[in-house]
Amino acid sequence: MEESASVDSVESLCSSTTTRSDRSSGPKLSDTELRSKGRPIEKMYKDPSKGELPLLPVELVQESAKDVTYICPFIGPIRGSLTVTNYRLFFRCTDREPVFGLDLPLGVLSRVEKIGAATGRGDVSYGLACKDMRNLRFVHKEPDDSLKKSVFEVLMKFAFPVSNNMSLFAFEYKQVFPENGWKVYDPLAECKRQGLPNESWRISKLNDHYELCDSYPATLVVPVTITDDELRRVSSFRAKGRIPVLSWIHPESQAAVVRSSQPMVGQNGRRCKEDEKLLQAIMDANAQSHKLFIFDARPSVNAAANKMKGGGFESEDAYQNAELVFLDIHNIHVMRESLRKLKEVVYPNIEESHWLSNLESTHWLEHIKLILAGALRIADKVESGKTSVVVHCSDGWDRTAQLTSLALIMLDSHYRTIRGFQILVEKEWLSFGHRFQQRVGHGDKNHTDVDRSPIFLQFIDCVWQMTRQFPAAFEFNEYFLITILDHLYSCLFGTFLCNSEQQRLKEEIPKRTVSLWSFVNSQLEEFVNPLYVHYSSHVLFPTVGIRHLQLWVSYYIRWNPRMRPQEPVHQRYKELLAKRAELQKRVEELQREVSSRTASSSSERAGSPTRSITPVQTFV
Amino acid sequence: MFSGKQTKPTFKSYLPPLQTDLKKSPQLPIKKLEAKLLPGEIVVNEANFVRKCIGADSGQDDLWGKLVCTNFKVSFISHNSLPQQRFQCTHRLLGEHDIPLACVEQVVTVNDVKGKQKILGSNQKLKFNPTELILYCKDFRIIRFRFDEAGPESAKKVCLAIAHYSHPADPQLLFGFEYVGKRYHGSAGERVNGVDPGGGLQTPLFDCSSDWDREIKRTGASEWRVCTINQGYFISPSLPEFFVVPVSLADQDLKQYACCFYSQRIPLWCWNHPSGSALVRMSNISDPQQQRKVEQRISSAITKSHPLRSDVFKSDLDKNLPNIQDIQAALLKLRQICVIESFEESEEKWLSSLESSRWMEYVRTFLRHAVEVVYMLESRHVSVILLEKEDRDLSCVISSLVQLMCDPHCRSLHGFQALIQKEWVMAGHRFLDRCNHLKKSDKEELWNQYPAAFEFTEVYLTVLGDSMWVPVFSTFLFNCPRQRAEHSRDFASSKSIHLGQDQALRFPPVWDWSQQFSLKDQTLFNNPLYVGKIATCLQNGTVKTFTHRRSKKNYSSTVRGLPSLMRNGSLGPNDTLTRRNSLVLRLRSDLSQVREQPETPSERFVRDFFSRAVDLQGLLLPQLLPSHLSVWKLYFLRWVPEAQIPHGGPVTAFHKLSVLTDEIEMLQNQLRQYKGAAGTANTSHAEHSKMYFKATSTPQQCPAPPEYLSSSFPFSPVGNLCRPGILGTPLSKFLNGAKIWLSTETLANETI
Repeated sequence: MEESASVDSVESLCSSTTTRSDRSSGPKLSDTELRSKGRPIEKMYKDPSKGELPLLPVELVQESAKDVTYICPFIGPIRGSLTVTNYRLFFRCTDREPVFGLDLPLGVLSRVEKIGAATGRGDVSYGLACKDMRNLRFVHKEPDDSLKKSVFEVLMKFAFPVSNNMSLFAFEYKQVFPENGWKVYDPLAECKRQGLPNESWRISKLNDHYELCDSYPATLVVPVTITDDELRRVSSFRAKGRIPVLSWIHPESQAAVVRSSQPMVGQNGRRCKEDEKLLQAIMDANAQSHKLFIFDARPSVNAAANKMKGGGFESEDAYQNAELVFLDIHNIHVMRESLRKLKEVVYPNIEESHWLSNLESTHWLEHIKLILAGALRIADKVESGKTSVVVHCSDGWDRTAQLTSLALIMLDSHYRTIRGFQILVEKEWLSFGHRFQQRVGHGDKNHTDVDRSPIFLQFIDCVWQMTRQFPAAFEFNEYFLITILDHLYSCLFGTFLCNSEQQRLKEEIPKRTVSLWSFVNSQLEEFVNPLYVHYSSHVLFPTVGIRHLQLWVSYYIRWNPRMRPQEPVHQRYKELLAKRAELQKRVEELQREVSSRTASSSSERAGSPTRSITPVQTFV
Repeated sequence: MFSGKQTKPTFKSYLPPLQTDLKKSPQLPIKKLEAKLLPGEIVVNEANFVRKCIGADSGQDDLWGKLVCTNFKVSFISHNSLPQQRFQCTHRLLGEHDIPLACVEQVVTVNDVKGKQKILGSNQKLKFNPTELILYCKDFRIIRFRFDEAGPESAKKVCLAIAHYSHPADPQLLFGFEYVGKRYHGSAGERVNGVDPGGGLQTPLFDCSSDWDREIKRTGASEWRVCTINQGYFISPSLPEFFVVPVSLADQDLKQYACCFYSQRIPLWCWNHPSGSALVRMSNISDPQQQRKVEQRISSAITKSHPLRSDVFKSDLDKNLPNIQDIQAALLKLRQICVIESFEESEEKWLSSLESSRWMEYVRTFLRHAVEVVYMLESRHVSVILLEKEDRDLSCVISSLVQLMCDPHCRSLHGFQALIQKEWVMAGHRFLDRCNHLKKSDKEELWNQYPAAFEFTEVYLTVLGDSMWVPVFSTFLFNCPRQRAEHSRDFASSKSIHLGQDQALRFPPVWDWSQQFSLKDQTLFNNPLYVGKIATCLQNGTVKTFTHRRSKKNYSSTVRGLPSLMRNGSLGPNDTLTRRNSLVLRLRSDLSQVREQPETPSERFVRDFFSRAVDLQGLLLPQLLPSHLSVWKLYFLRWVPEAQIPHGGPVTAFHKLSVLTDEIEMLQNQLRQYKGAAGTANTSHAEHSKMYFKATSTPQQCPAPPEYLSSSFPFSPVGNLCRPGILGTPLSKFLNGAKIWLSTETLANETI
């Protein structure tokens, strides 16, 4: 698109990493421009003369090579030039009409490798595996040893800065936005919104310096009846010291969602009376129910197997009045494998005749279903059963984060707004120590690392499934979710760096990097769902059956040029809103005109039709 | 036992059911349980103290009442009405619990004491007294009645009556004849001037030459003419009396050729592309000796009618598409997994069983084939002949899909009705024999992908699909126009009804929606996003009435073809696929040999289409990737309680949009009034609003969607899907945990 050449930096970074290509247009977008939004990154540059690369402020070209062939799985080989900067990779072919371009942040690469077996003429060929569901392949036509090798090396160097003892691009990127995303989440303000502290719950300062638990946030909400000393003892009984603390409290029933890690029961069935007292106190804090539900996200077999390693689950003997439920959600390795299979099925081409059974064999939707079903059971217990719940898995930072955050979205409409969702991610994922660095592997070339897993992607997918079922209940649109995922990998913003709040503080992430929310909140209108209706106390109970779950094609299959991402309903709705505003303005003008006229000559036009109209009172 | 039906919160909804007291007050419960009968409708049999099962498991919400079988419907009359159903469209011909007999697919009687079960057909005997009756309906409903308190004899009789009347041996026994005879032709012989042949909406029925003339003019097909040789159905029994042929073919020639074609079906013109390329449908030539000659003559005539004198492309549908038996089998399998199997069981294997039903695959095949045809018309500027052995099934689908994709007029409510009338009813699709449900689903796919371009809504298509089972409307009742004329004449003479000038009984067409629904409910058919409507008001900023139809054709942006690139020769859909795959494989194995020889032209055509912005008034192509097709959930899953999304589903967005559209209309009305346009502007807004959901008086505050909205709206699964579940019925006592259905024999043995 021609816009991309003339854009300022904010827009160019957006076009580089997200699916929309035309960013520059102001509020007055033409029809065509509006519709072409959401195009994949493989853009068509209309105007070859504007060939300069839209670089970010501190982005520097590191190496470029002409006469490179990109083997496009959809249109075939394309000859063009390849440029590597310290942030991204450009490929552009100007011989074609329309001009073809590739533009992706290096952070998205999970693996760069030479593909041997050079053909007779000694071509260099390498493949790039990406975290966003695609693989790219380039071939150098003419191998000039010293020069061409360096493109590959530069690529290796800047794609995996952490492995090369360099810093991520996020630490160099210094864009200033009108909004400061680091201020979106204030733990105390969020507590206050929920009415905390109250007579049953207090805010503990025990973890202020991350001494109780280094993967937990500084601010913890615990029952008032439990002393800090007791909390210390509980922390030695819970895996990684992740004690049961409050995530959310129901504004009416006071039923609470509490999260933790597994108890260190072990094979001998160890007990901890402070832990038992803590769970009892959690139950007592809610007068509506004399029961406590403990949701263990794992399959019961896995939970039992954890006893071998000292972990396990709460026995009903030790925890009276508590009922334990297993939610059968599998671990990170199963999820990683499932996504790998999914990628095989969707990229580059879909096998048409066996699409559905192939999709089924990846089990991806089944995992989505189990996670949503688990969250639904939690939300149902809290909302309909007025019962407090404790949610944990093994360490309480993967499946637990998925479950609590999804349950909170169902229970609390605040988390369905754009800012509320940001708070939710900051709170349940970032502050409670979802290990983003490990799970995503920012800038790390070790692509076979067993700690990598698409846990956060699954969560976003689940949210997307809910937006499908309740099109008017979420303030944000699909593009918002895709933007979050794109910047999860891009390493442009500091938001998803590091593994815990403590690490982020130590690395001074808020000082040294820009928050993704700064970028998002500076152009909110891009991310707004026009169909959104705000109802304050509205609990969502999605239907989790497979027949209502669908593959998120506009994310997983967006690279396929035969796929056109479509949001015409939303677009049309926006146009209608504009139309309404225009009409309202005109009606008001006429009203004013009429009233001034009638005031000046009240006797004159007694019988005119305009008089018989009831005044339009409401458009203010 | 009639009282005490507390509306209890169900597990699925989590919310107390709607309180509907407000609406109840004016109509006090009717004391007598009597069926409401239509003119000509008579009660055949009835049973009292019948229980209609509502919930699948517990009997506590069940309704008590009277089960009546008439010559038109199975009716259940009850004192209580279902909670949560107030929002349903009130059907003018059918009550809340009525099922038209033509909609009943299978009648199953059960005696759970004896453990017996029998599928009842017409004129069959029943050796046991039924305790339960299960009706499997063609619209995917499953309805259960229990006779625990009913007299055994009357229960048996009513079951037999239902079984008998739902499978009439002679089409003249269909209720439509009685109804129309009584209602519109009065017993005294003078015709009540009740039926407006255009259904009040001026939907062309294509039963006279002027309708065809208008269609020729609309599409600019100047080289085509209306042919009248089949008047009185002298040439072909299944062709309409009027149809369109190339001007260069004389009536004499046509008569001569007719005998070579399968059941004398001379090639029919369907539609002209703005480029002048024509879409023609043709049956096979049955005489092999004449084949070449006739084919050549026809082709050259079509070529002569093309402004560029382009060639003709023949598309053999029988070779490229699944046959109707396959499609029917697919539908049955789909029904099996959608409603008959228990929810949990089908849930596990949902995707693969969906695949093995092949329904989606067939839908995609149809769409893809239609795209191929569009490509021929649009980019290669050639006329296309759709070739099918009988030219009565597959070509209906393809020709109407092609027109939907190319012609914005067909996407308006009227245009669509005209299209169905032209390509299905007049062209002789055997509604009576087939009654399969293929076509609506296809349209639905297209609708799903470009919602804004269609004037009508999902609900409209669903209702249209349902109307096929109400045997009153002429539209879907007969195999061909001639059959319609003959049957009605016969019937008329047998009943000594004086027909006057009419040649046949005047059946109301389905397009007269007021036959079935109130005006308010009809507004559910309007799509608030319909682009034609919006486009006019956006362009003309000033006061402008909402024009409903858009006749202006706008093809400019799409006729940007790539004719120079095109190769000659035909491209089957499979061809496309393999070619692409082989290309990819080659890329992997040997890079050096790859030349710039990428996709097939039609593939390129599709890709180019998707790389451009959509012009909603122009060409629309559906996405053909299997990942982009999804099952038509409103139609297939609307009765499944487990699959319902309370307070959710696409209808919530529809609600929001409708309100906004209505607000805009209201503002425009106000503007018009201020301008003092006319005295007529004073008519109240609410009366002629086109939207089902209305704007409130305070437009700025968006009203929250009503509580009753769910993904099944405006239908309700409550009471409409009661699978013969094992749980909760006395049957379970001796099945005891068995997961599969046991055969009747096993059941019988076990009770002894």
